[in-house]
Amino acid sequence: MPRKITQLCVVLLALLLSACAPLQPGREYVERDDLKVDPEVRHSLIVTELLQSRRDQPGGGSLLQIQFSVEAYEDTDMEWAVQWFDEAGMVVPGVGVGYRDVRILRNQTRFFMATAPHERVVSFQLHLREDR
Amino acid sequence: MIKPLAVATLSTLLLAACAAPTRYIDPAADDGPVTMTMDYRDFERAADAAIQDLLASGAVDRPGGERYVMAVSRIVNDTMQRIDTDQLVKKIRVALLRSGKVITTTAVGLDGAEDEMNLAARELRESAEFDQSTVQQKGTLQAPDLSLSGKIIQRNHKVDDEQQVEYYFQLSLTDLRRGLAIWENETPIIKRGSDDAVAW
Repeated sequence: MPRKITQLCVVLLALLLSACAPLQPGREYVERDDLKVDPEVRHSLIVTELLQSRRDQPGGGSLLQIQFSVEAYEDTDMEWAVQWFDEAGMVVPGVGVGYRDVRILRNQTRFFMATAPHERVVSFQLHLREDR
Repeated sequence: MIKPLAVATLSTLLLAACAAPTRYIDPAADDGPVTMTMDYRDFERAADAAIQDLLASGAVDRPGGERYVMAVSRIVNDTMQRIDTDQLVKKIRVALLRSGKVITTTAVGLDGAEDEMNLAARELRESAEFDQSTVQQKGTLQAPDLSLSGKIIQRNHKVDDEQQVEYYFQLSLTDLRRGLAIWENETPIIKRGSDDAVAW
């Protein structure tokens, strides 16, 4: 009998404590791919590498840099754009919002680089699409 | 009598129906045709390239985490077009401010202060109409550490029955203490199109 009372007290105490605990804000994360390639442009080129590193700054911070290379099977007009995100997954705006267009010749491999607009950038998404 | 009027009305209606409707353009998804003259996409591209290069260079990252103060010097428009170079400079200023590394002074400029209120607000000193504790004190304006200057160049060429227009966006950042250009950049934007198109 005393054991049951003790168990009941423990359960009640646990319920009480959980009721007093501050509510954690619910946050749902959707995993983002680093690379988004339009199906149309996949027929004419391939992304051969996508690298990222942090470039140290004299003040002690660092900026995220990405580099990617593409190889074309045929002459291709391609456009690319990068979106930058902070630790909370929010967009960090850069200067440009439009796509940058490039021309890649058949069997040519080209390398492109982009630097994050702020040190708080921790992730990115690279978009590749056909030039329309 | 009625016939010519009806024809005129019908023609007007037909023409109005054929005209392209006025619409908003989203700069993030603009597939519109390229112009031979400089449009907003060229300024965006040049500013983006310059800012990425500037930030990556580390030239504007001050040890200690403080921001540099930058003044905007002369940006020469050496093109055949009448453009406001602020279309380029403002994008760079906004990006530098957002980066947390550089702030631009509006109190210093080659043709006087960009915002004349900096000085006008100081003329309130000694005025009995103003609470003097709210008036800006002497020695509070901050002098610039850096100066941004540059030039936009245009070159036209005829290639067969086409024309080629080259734009060069040249920028320099000078350390005013030493007078040295600590960062320099050139972004070329080349366009080729119909010889009938106008590039000025």
